[in-house]
Amino acid sequence: MSLPRYATGRLLLGLGQVVGVATLVFVLTEALPGDAAVVIAGDQPDPERIAAVRTALELDRPAWQRYLDWLADLLRGDLGVSLVSGRPVADVLTANAGPTVLLAVLTLLLLVPLAVGVGMLAARREGGRLDRALSATVVGLYAIPEFALAVLLVALFGVHLGWFPPTAVGTGGNLLAQPAVLVLPLVVLLARPVCSLSRLTRAGMIEAAGSAYVAHARRLGVPGHRLWLGHALPNALAPVVQQLARTTDWLLGGVIVVEAVFVVPGLGTALVDAVTARDVPTIQGLCVLVAVVTVTVNLAADLVAFRLAPAAPVAR
Amino acid sequence: MSAARGRGRAATGGPVSAARGRRRAVAGTLLLAVPLLVALVGPVLAGDPAQRGRPFTADGPLGTDFVGRDVLDQLLLGGRSVVGVAVAATALAYLLGVPLGWWSATTRRRWLDELLMRPLDLPLAVPALLLLILLSATAPRGPVTLVLIVALIGLPEVARISRAAALPLAHGPAMEAMRLYRESWWRRAVGYVGRGVRRVLLADAGVRFIGALYLVATASFLGIGVAPDAADWAVMVDRNRAGLALQPWAVVAPALLVVALAVGVNLLTDELVRKGPLLTHTVEKGPLLTTASDGEVGR
Repeated sequence: MSLPRYATGRLLLGLGQVVGVATLVFVLTEALPGDAAVVIAGDQPDPERIAAVRTALELDRPAWQRYLDWLADLLRGDLGVSLVSGRPVADVLTANAGPTVLLAVLTLLLLVPLAVGVGMLAARREGGRLDRALSATVVGLYAIPEFALAVLLVALFGVHLGWFPPTAVGTGGNLLAQPAVLVLPLVVLLARPVCSLSRLTRAGMIEAAGSAYVAHARRLGVPGHRLWLGHALPNALAPVVQQLARTTDWLLGGVIVVEAVFVVPGLGTALVDAVTARDVPTIQGLCVLVAVVTVTVNLAADLVAFRLAPAAPVAR
Repeated sequence: MSAARGRGRAATGGPVSAARGRRRAVAGTLLLAVPLLVALVGPVLAGDPAQRGRPFTADGPLGTDFVGRDVLDQLLLGGRSVVGVAVAATALAYLLGVPLGWWSATTRRRWLDELLMRPLDLPLAVPALLLLILLSATAPRGPVTLVLIVALIGLPEVARISRAAALPLAHGPAMEAMRLYRESWWRRAVGYVGRGVRRVLLADAGVRFIGALYLVATASFLGIGVAPDAADWAVMVDRNRAGLALQPWAVVAPALLVVALAVGVNLLTDELVRKGPLLTHTVEKGPLLTTASDGEVGR
């Protein structure tokens, strides 16, 4: 299959996924048991609040009309108005995006060289000390929920030893002003993805190094480092790139938890607050945003992986 | 994909890695035993939870928590919900997912297969934690809701894996022979296919349980779907963070129990997966397993 053809098919699938997820989000918030307005109004259902919620969500109109309107608004970038603050959801999201994007970008920037480097080192000495240590760490770290790791790190390095600030309180959302604040959150965010990606790089490198085409290149006299970096690595990286995209899934969960632990005013905090306050338009907006990001990243990764190893079976 | 790598690893490692594997399995069992014992036996040993003193003092073996309850008592009581919800959700996901995947694999009508499996692709495009938050925002709070939601999130993966594992068995030459001999449906579908996929599903159950545990604990930590003063390890970690400098044990002890539980299960599952070729060749090559294997397992 050629790249443009694969890209077109994959793009259509991605679009379908986004529309599907948007529908899912609408249906889920629509499927509230009983009277939606009463449920959203929450623990103190006074009649005034219920009436306000009903007008805000236009619950008197049939569901399909609201669904079509909602989709049309989405296309224009209008995500509705927050039930709590009365501000447009899009404004709330942009106001909170800064710290989250910073954390995500820094994590990805550190993650790729770290994971690929460690994975390659482990693959060079298969069965060596680094390789064994890596495999033991992966099995251990992989399953630990971020919040448990985070509070343990905070207890040890933040409170007991006092090396790093235990929370980001006082930075006012501008994390770069105090880089020390970033250390513990980044360690927590990196812990799981580094393990899985370096493991995958290692496996891919060992597989590629034992393959026929690398053996052939060796017989042709291609020098060691070029053999390793130029021939074995690209094939080994294809699954890594795809796994990297799947990591956005983890990263998102991680960011929500890390923001909660370190009191960072980002999108994760906005989401948890919105859920606590049952602010449906904000929850819907955030979910659609996340779905779009996840689908886009996966799309990009599949295309890169296709380019890196066109012969490999493709993900659909 | 992951099974192929796992097998490659076992083959290159030789007997040394088998010994190390046994050590890991023992370590996993020991790690798992502590939180499981606390969760199962704890509620019997715990004192009266209504008794309250001053918050964050050093009274009692592990001090007191944010509302002055004894931390040790809370620890003994708090494992039940974490372990119980995760186990119940995994069991429910299997109860629904295995028949679904198996039905989809054994049917000879292509459209039915598509109809059963395609809708399951959709939730996979949404991050699990987000789906959990979205669902619990709209549903009534309580452990039953949490079980249902976590089971629903695990369902697509379970259905996919059981379909992928059953597919080569359900359409292989042995199955054709059994049909020609007019073996009963029960012997073909349950006796042959069911027995064939048993090991794959057993190893996969560990992975699913870790996923469920992760979701349940993280959701409880974020205060989603639980009462704010519930006796629950994850909730304890969250609520007692305010007193981290005064009384670290109220946070560290429950966090360590969660870590021991997660790492213990993972060590044991890892051994189970490594023990041998779990998936047959055709399954590894099957297109449906690509996302299933690199989605969460990711090694």
